[in-house]
Amino acid sequence: MAINDLPIVGDSFALGYRFQRYWDTPMANAFFFGELGAGLFFVSLLLGSAQGMLAGLLITGLLKTYFHLSHMGVPKRSWRAIMRPDRSWVSRGLLGIVGLMGFGGATVLIAWTGILAPDSLLVLLLKFAAGAAALVVMTYQGLAMSHSTAIAFWNTGLMPVASLAYAMTGGVMLLLAAVPESAQSLLPVALLLHLCIAAILLSMLHAARHGSPGARKSAELLTRTTYAKWFLVLVCGAGVLLPVLLLWLAGSVPTVALTAAAGTLAGYYTFRLLVFKAGVYEPIMSFRP
Amino acid sequence: MVATPDAVHNSIKPGRWVRSTCKMCLHSCTNLIHVTDDGVINKVEGDPTNPSNRGKLCPKGNSAIMRHYDPNRFTQPLKRTNPEKGPNIDPKWVPISWDEALTLVADKLKDCLQTDPRRIIPSLEDFQKMNIWVWPLAFGNFNFFQSGGTMCGGAYHPVNGYVHSAFAAANDPKYCNFWLNNGTGDGFSSHLHAAAQSSWVADARVERGMRCVTVEPRFSISAAKSEEWVPIRPATDRQFALSMCHVMVSEGWCDYKSLRKDTNAPYLVGDDGYFIRNADGKTYVWDSVDNRAKLWDDPSVGEAALEGGAWTVEGKPCKPAFQRFRDILADCSPEAMEKLTTVPPATVRRLAKEMYDAAGIAADAKIEIDGRVMPLRPAAYNYYRGAQGHKLGFQANHAFKMVNFLLGCIDAPGGHLGVTLDDQWVDHSHIAPGENGMIKPTPHQLGPVPPFAYPPNTFQLMDYFPVGVHPPHLNLEVFLNPEKYGVEFRPDTMIICHSNPIWAMQGPREKWFEFMRSMKFIAVSDIIPTETTQWADVILPSHDMFESWNMTMIEPPHTEGMCMRQPAVEPLYNTKSEEDIFSDLAERIGVLDSYNEVLNFALGFVQKPELKLQPGIKYTDKEIARRKGLLWNGKDLDWYVEHGHAVTERRLDKWYRPWEGMRLHFYIEDMVGIRDDLKQKMEAAKVPFRHEWAWEDYQPLPTPRLDPVHSEPPEYDLYGMFFKDIQINFGESLSNPWIQDIVYRDPVHIALMLNPKTAAKQGLKPLDIVKVESPYGKIFGRIGVSEGWHPDALGVSNALSRAKIHSKGIKHAGGHFNDLLPYDLRNTDGVTGQPETVCKVRITKLPDWPEHLKMGGSVYDLVDELAKPGKGRKH
Amino acid sequence: MARYGMVFDLKRCIGCNACVVACKQENALPEGVFFTRTLSEEYGVYPAVNRVYIPTLCNHCEDAPCEKVCPSGATYTRPDGIVMVNPETCIGCGSCAVACPYDQRSEMKAESFKDGLFGTGELTPFEQQGYPRYTPGMVTKCDFCSGRVDAGLDPACVVTCPTEARIFGDLDDPESKPSQLIRERNGRPPLPEKNTRPKVYYID
Repeated sequence: MAINDLPIVGDSFALGYRFQRYWDTPMANAFFFGELGAGLFFVSLLLGSAQGMLAGLLITGLLKTYFHLSHMGVPKRSWRAIMRPDRSWVSRGLLGIVGLMGFGGATVLIAWTGILAPDSLLVLLLKFAAGAAALVVMTYQGLAMSHSTAIAFWNTGLMPVASLAYAMTGGVMLLLAAVPESAQSLLPVALLLHLCIAAILLSMLHAARHGSPGARKSAELLTRTTYAKWFLVLVCGAGVLLPVLLLWLAGSVPTVALTAAAGTLAGYYTFRLLVFKAGVYEPIMSFRP
Repeated sequence: MVATPDAVHNSIKPGRWVRSTCKMCLHSCTNLIHVTDDGVINKVEGDPTNPSNRGKLCPKGNSAIMRHYDPNRFTQPLKRTNPEKGPNIDPKWVPISWDEALTLVADKLKDCLQTDPRRIIPSLEDFQKMNIWVWPLAFGNFNFFQSGGTMCGGAYHPVNGYVHSAFAAANDPKYCNFWLNNGTGDGFSSHLHAAAQSSWVADARVERGMRCVTVEPRFSISAAKSEEWVPIRPATDRQFALSMCHVMVSEGWCDYKSLRKDTNAPYLVGDDGYFIRNADGKTYVWDSVDNRAKLWDDPSVGEAALEGGAWTVEGKPCKPAFQRFRDILADCSPEAMEKLTTVPPATVRRLAKEMYDAAGIAADAKIEIDGRVMPLRPAAYNYYRGAQGHKLGFQANHAFKMVNFLLGCIDAPGGHLGVTLDDQWVDHSHIAPGENGMIKPTPHQLGPVPPFAYPPNTFQLMDYFPVGVHPPHLNLEVFLNPEKYGVEFRPDTMIICHSNPIWAMQGPREKWFEFMRSMKFIAVSDIIPTETTQWADVILPSHDMFESWNMTMIEPPHTEGMCMRQPAVEPLYNTKSEEDIFSDLAERIGVLDSYNEVLNFALGFVQKPELKLQPGIKYTDKEIARRKGLLWNGKDLDWYVEHGHAVTERRLDKWYRPWEGMRLHFYIEDMVGIRDDLKQKMEAAKVPFRHEWAWEDYQPLPTPRLDPVHSEPPEYDLYGMFFKDIQINFGESLSNPWIQDIVYRDPVHIALMLNPKTAAKQGLKPLDIVKVESPYGKIFGRIGVSEGWHPDALGVSNALSRAKIHSKGIKHAGGHFNDLLPYDLRNTDGVTGQPETVCKVRITKLPDWPEHLKMGGSVYDLVDELAKPGKGRKH
Repeated sequence: MARYGMVFDLKRCIGCNACVVACKQENALPEGVFFTRTLSEEYGVYPAVNRVYIPTLCNHCEDAPCEKVCPSGATYTRPDGIVMVNPETCIGCGSCAVACPYDQRSEMKAESFKDGLFGTGELTPFEQQGYPRYTPGMVTKCDFCSGRVDAGLDPACVVTCPTEARIFGDLDDPESKPSQLIRERNGRPPLPEKNTRPKVYYID
């Protein structure tokens, strides 16, 4: 279609697609660590690993916070982000993070000190709350993106699904690499999750190719032009194909699992970054036939 | 206007509004300046009470504050301490007092006056202050070295002076229904009072459905808004116009009634080019009813013939002037002209018919305006710099006028109207009766020209252009060949004000640098550093438009009246008004009384003796402004301070057919007379270069003869042409960060532009670095492509024209387009001194920029940064 | 209460960008920030070429996505329909910027307030009196010159446009100039499929 012929125009006054660069590398880092930490916490919570939960809380609490603050225009006012949970996924997500730190931290503390019995009602409620908070943190960023009609590639229900899937996969792979004994229970989950990711990526690209012009442009950037090499090699290759192969063939070997995890995380991080980099604003109109 | 104490928007913060006039170009839209209670200028808007710009301002006018607060502004007088001079060499200025500065300059000027006043080369170029422009006349100096106006106006103004007895010309948007723009952006991007004219034209197009056609090599803004773009090869517009005339004359699509009654087209012309005259000097027409010659004002003439002959009258074979034009047009068919113009003949024929139909000639359409019944001719051919700026400039302008003559629309409602420069007083009619019922021609629209002299008294050979506008490019020609031209003086002292010839004068920069280096002393008065201030020995910093007084009317179309500039704030720095500087210098060198007398004539104060400047007094900018205002409408400054301007719609008797009852110069006999007179004088004085003088340029009717640009060696296979748009024309704005913000984001101003097929044929891609060479010079740049370009053209925007100088504000590119232009006599109009503004070029791809351009801070560096995704840019 | 909107007449616009500079003046915008831009689209093959000049600015959407996603509540809509950004409460998270389908948000980078328009590190008096309005780091946009509108004036860009291609007024008043133009010349908003219900319309 003719509107596809329009170029990407940078900051010029020519009509065309414009890259979004408001959410750039620092924000991608924040998203990555936020989801990864919550995912690690969630999987650790299900498996009962206090160290895993702690590691997840630290990743989200420290790394995500650092990078998100470094992205903010007015960092010292960041607390205000919590003000509109009625409308904004960012507010809800921040509440989720607070909840995760609070409930999750309490859970870890109780597990470490043994103050309360692990099957007591309070502990169960805490765990439930922490798990719910972790779910929020895993998905809220994708939800925020999916609401954007501006960046058409993000405007899909698959975004929060991708966030959730990647977060869980990241958590699972981290545990797999750190705790080789868990291979027995985690391997099939890991494989399944990678297949889910593959399905999500394919669906996302398919929907984008047949979606609005901005989505088509992003899909083109990821699969054929500017970012194709990064996307195909890192996101698809290192992030999905490689781990699947490695896990299938020798997933119980610790070094193999470690390599697979590195691949998954590299792919996951690149996905997070490229989804930002390849996001474009559509031209507001076009007159060419 | 309202003010709110806690306002965040600048225009409504507490403060005051000052009525004034914009100075971001040479025209005079009036404005309102907002000064906060803290004395900061924080908004400039158009003045809605002015019927010209009606509250609007173009982007330049909107950017004025960033000139005022430009940190590069000169803050005090400066003296150079580095004897080495060059475009990017630090002058090592040291601050000096005004007294020292003026003494220094005056001493040098006095020395010249005592030995030879012609040693002084002035470059005083403020169109809004003609009182400064004429300063050198105080000591009889006619040297001239300013680049403004000669490329657009060299032949334009003299021909307007012949045809309309006016300075400029424009179509009438109030009634025009078919507006053809040839090589001009009038009504869209340029020329007369852009903010005003574009407003009028937009109303005409949208509310009245006025049809626009644009004829030019590039798809300009005018073309984009027109119903039709007619691409044309550069430097062939005269031939296009003549082909239109050919069709109109062959098909009988002319306003014969107007030609007979309102012009000298029926006057009988002999084979020698002169009118046939009787013993009393009266001219003849041929009465086709009685079939004999009669005097032009014989009441018994039934119908004066336009065609026919040759008859014998007063013993000489003769034809009507119109027939002589018809004879020329025989060679100008659209088919013949297509080879040169590339315009399809069918297009020419169709346009001619459309214009004829739209002009309402067949029905002899009339209109009554304010009780006066006049012909309504709402179709007109407008043109300006791009079309007129060629070697045969006089003939080019004349050819465009001819289309309008045939349409009967000269100065008619809806037609093509003369626009005066500065009427000076309301009742000043610019029309005076001449001989034989014709209007008195006034080719010297910019002031008196020096008389013939050999050896020359001017360095730019103005002694030999009795009808022209000064040709400053010839300064270089004479500088390089002084023996050939027999000049007995060598200019070595420059006084420059509000002028930047080193930026834009045509010819290679390197040669101009030689010229500058030959000067022993250069004094420059300006506001900010430029390519020219780089060469100064002394800087005399002047007030800017927010700090000074002025009163000006400068070629407004459709309106008339003085526009006042008043200071909005105290001067920011230790600057002076230009009037203070030049009256002080005049006093110091002993020509103050002479200067005041010159001003009395130049500014028209002789009309009202009580306004005349008296001997011995140095008049300030305020006092001169006051007198100009009083001269216009008898109102004193307090009235102007309250109203800002005295602009009204142009008085209709001065606007439409102000020459009613007289005849226009369809045939410009002066061309023959002046040529012969000049030839005879040159012969008598044995002027050594008389044999190469371009006598054949003097033609009473336009011809299709090719400009020499078309006969350059064939390896130069493209036509280089130069263009501007509303952000960057008629003034310097490229140093302004707000203008840079919009110009370098506009795709047409960021590369050397080619048609994509042409680029492909030349093996060039966008972003290729290239060298562009003409037979005269070279520039460098980067290629861009667009379908909106004639395949034979290479388009170079003015946005790429600045040089690297010792000021951070300006983005250089690869050299000024004008480096490619010739500065010789062969490419100069022998009649007017108009230089050629198009050149044949060839392009060579380069692997990289040449060393001297790899210094960062260029237009292309900025464009690359803007092309990167993301917001904002670094400096 | 009025419901303010704007109409852009594409037949009139000559792409001069006087509006852009008037806006920079009125709002003391720092380096690289634009609250309005006039774009151009050139298409066709020689000699059948076309170029359209397209003014753009914040559409002050009735269903403003930027307001919906703003986590701090800094973005809000006035009763007269003008969508505003509170400089005291904006945290510069950029959620609005990635929510606006029209890319009309601008980040006010802290360096711009320090470097100044001339890049010298010193602010001109114009900038000194204008910049305090903003919080460095905030992400903001055109506000239809809300202060001028409150004072009964049109926005700065509208007032300066040489060809009167920008028409501002009350969309709830059927006799207002914009309402008439939308009706008579088939005004249409940009990207209606994004469902933001813009209050800026284009006519040609």
